[in-house]
Amino acid sequence: MSLLALYLLLLKATLSSFSGLASLPILRDDFVVHRTLLTDRQLNTALVIGRTTPGPKGLYVVSLGYYIAGYPGAVMAWAALATPALLVVAMLGVASRFTGDARVKRMLRAVVIASAGVSLSATLPLGVDALTTPLGWILAAAALVILLRTEWDTLWVMAGAALVSLGASLLPLAAR
Amino acid sequence: MAPPLGPLAGLFLRIGNLTFGGGGPTIAAFQRELVTRRRWLTPEQFALSYALSRITPGTNLFAFCTCAGALLRGLPGALAALLAASVPSCLLVAVLTAGFDTASRFGAVNVAIDGAVAASVGILLASCWAIVAPYVTRANGLRTALIAGASFGLSMLAAPILVLALAAAVGWFWEERE
Repeated sequence: MSLLALYLLLLKATLSSFSGLASLPILRDDFVVHRTLLTDRQLNTALVIGRTTPGPKGLYVVSLGYYIAGYPGAVMAWAALATPALLVVAMLGVASRFTGDARVKRMLRAVVIASAGVSLSATLPLGVDALTTPLGWILAAAALVILLRTEWDTLWVMAGAALVSLGASLLPLAAR
Repeated sequence: MAPPLGPLAGLFLRIGNLTFGGGGPTIAAFQRELVTRRRWLTPEQFALSYALSRITPGTNLFAFCTCAGALLRGLPGALAALLAASVPSCLLVAVLTAGFDTASRFGAVNVAIDGAVAASVGILLASCWAIVAPYVTRANGLRTALIAGASFGLSMLAAPILVLALAAAVGWFWEERE
């Protein structure tokens, strides 16, 4: 498969989705089922890598690109992820003309409020997955309290949690 | 005041590539940095970036970074934010894919990641509150609670994009109290 064809197929998948893993069924259909360029095991490994690295979960697409065509394939996957984001510049130009309208302001505020509800529901599966030990609960609660009561950088909060988790794993009576 | 391109790219590089847990916690971290700590964006600009990123196809986080960068420094800001937020993490994924079997043998790495992901749950919860807090007023508290609560419930049944579209329609027709 040429790199251009790979880019276009990955772009088709990313353009057809509106969240990290929504492109998964399309990619599986294209690369595992029809073209047999990937195995389900590689797909699962890519998902694990996307889940355990910083940034969006959709980065598993880069892993798929690497499995198909090495580092050039990973570059094509990055391009397929980055290209749709540029659409927002044009959308911003259009949206900016209407942001003075009272109804548009109300609409945007409602979307932002709703986004908190949507984010909260997205926290549930993340919590089920991440909070499997007492230490996990403690770290999550500590992060919540710190962020609500201080202006600490989230990076330090996460780095601290990683260090505490690492330290606890070295203790024989640790909660883990 | 709009930041120079260097500090702008530096912030998107740092937050975009070092925050675990997916796009949600990362956008939460950006909200904290861009609106609360540095005041580079107003809450309204953040709201606009967030809303547009959710209706842009593809990875919401990259669209958010591009939009926020565009609001701060125009097209150069958009490109700087997008490149800074996406290239290093994509490179890391490619390198990790190349050596996945070797890397997964280091248990300490997995333990540290588990801790960071657990903290990201707290970060997401704090972010949810930070997002709605400005709208929890005496006049509009009930409206805010109903929209947020309904969105929470509906998003377990329907795609987020549909829930946000419904919220947009509600916001369009349901007037706020002065």
